[in-house]
Amino acid sequence: MTHLVRDVLDSQLLDRHDLEMGKVDGIVLELRAGGAPRVAAIETGLVPLARRFGLSLARRVERVIVERGLPVNPDLRIPWAKVKREGIEIRADVDAETSPAYACERWLRDRVIGRIPGA
Amino acid sequence: MKKIFEIALGVVTSVGGFLEVGSLATSAQAGAEYRFQLLWAVVLGTLCLTFLTEMSGRLAAVSGHTIPAAMRERFGFTFFLIPLTLVGLVSLLVLASEIGGVCLALQLATGIAFPWWASVVAFAVWLLLWKGTFGLIEYGVSLLGLITVAFVVAAVRLRPDIAELGRGLLPSLPRDDPAHYWYIAVSILGASITPYLFYFYSSGAVEDGWNESHLRLNRVVATLGMGFGGGLAAAVLIVAGLVFAPQSIRIESYEQVALILTPLGRAGFWLFVAALGIACFAAALEVTLAMAYMVAQGMGWNWGENVKPRRAARFCATYTVIVALAAVIVVTGVDPLKLTLLAMALTAATLPVAVVPFLFLMNDPFYVREHRNGWLGNGVVLAIILLASILAVVSIPLQIVGGS
Repeated sequence: MTHLVRDVLDSQLLDRHDLEMGKVDGIVLELRAGGAPRVAAIETGLVPLARRFGLSLARRVERVIVERGLPVNPDLRIPWAKVKREGIEIRADVDAETSPAYACERWLRDRVIGRIPGA
Repeated sequence: MKKIFEIALGVVTSVGGFLEVGSLATSAQAGAEYRFQLLWAVVLGTLCLTFLTEMSGRLAAVSGHTIPAAMRERFGFTFFLIPLTLVGLVSLLVLASEIGGVCLALQLATGIAFPWWASVVAFAVWLLLWKGTFGLIEYGVSLLGLITVAFVVAAVRLRPDIAELGRGLLPSLPRDDPAHYWYIAVSILGASITPYLFYFYSSGAVEDGWNESHLRLNRVVATLGMGFGGGLAAAVLIVAGLVFAPQSIRIESYEQVALILTPLGRAGFWLFVAALGIACFAAALEVTLAMAYMVAQGMGWNWGENVKPRRAARFCATYTVIVALAAVIVVTGVDPLKLTLLAMALTAATLPVAVVPFLFLMNDPFYVREHRNGWLGNGVVLAIILLASILAVVSIPLQIVGGS
């Protein structure tokens, strides 16, 4: 049995190549008429993280990221079907390197860190 | 055989986390003003630290996760923000005082005022992190750090009174100004039990690829490593008690501390300069890495000192920003001794947040499986939480009442 808050929320997210791709910042439940709610996806990004402190903060964070075009991941949803629990980690069947989860990593690598000698 | 060298992790953690500018300053001050009367605080600090270090290593070896990562995963992001902010801010002050310590060593050696050295030292710290590997830092610091044994040599040469040393192991009240006495006691504990040290040690265990087969080694490394650091801090206190106390010198600046190794003759001054420089440089590396580890692991980023910077861009960007910020604090020319003592007192105030998670993590079967804390381990953690809570409550008032 999986306990969503204990075992999934805030757990380390790994991609299919064992690359760390953030933590599980939010869990999306799907409410179905007449049926029990179903886990639809997990989320990682600054917006679900901000949402844990309130909806208005989350909206503000999202607006700033979009308006300024900041190179960070606002919100990446990974369908529950692509997610597997492995011990204390959560494995997602995606490629972190090309996903929005690595927006900031890629930007820093290409624009800043990668340009310093010895990187 | 290879495992014998793993002891380096314990030594580097303890040289950088123990005999750094904080312990040097607080131990020297304690010895100068109260002779051996505060020796108990060094011993108590070392004992607490040894237990917590062993636990951080055990958690990392069994789960492959570090203390900061586990804090975020088990207690959630909203809780994690508290240690992240508090430990982050205090560690930044500690880092500034370590960089200040290296600058002071350079000032003592060259006569050029310390703020001028800040950017040079910060750049050297950054460059070593940028180009070096974890192993290089580990072995380099452990080897160079052996110079700090000069304090032990001096302590032995001065032939302290054994009976008086023994009395110092038991807490006793001072004749006058109790607020100042307790302020120094709290600073010693704050300088010994530093959260960044566990974060560094558990990350080091992951960097070195520890697993369950390293558990016994971890116990040895934590005990020997922290014992080494504690022994050095005790030696500083004893030497200060024998050199400064008879002349009733109160330590008001690092220049005074520089005379501590006069029993070793003319070389004593240079030994002190070298020991101060190396220990503070080691500590600067350790605090910087610990802060970058804490951020990266808490956010779930890819991290590591053993990979090329471009393979962990956010991690490297984090330590770059941290070193730059600390350098700015030093450049302003703030009195390094005051900064150090303030940082140590504030560290004591953040301890409960840093220690309470141990009680839960070290009993969590998902993380430590069958290697959970026994009654002794849990008893010690509870005792440390109690001690930490008292320290947290009294440290800031004592800083105001007994700080000068």
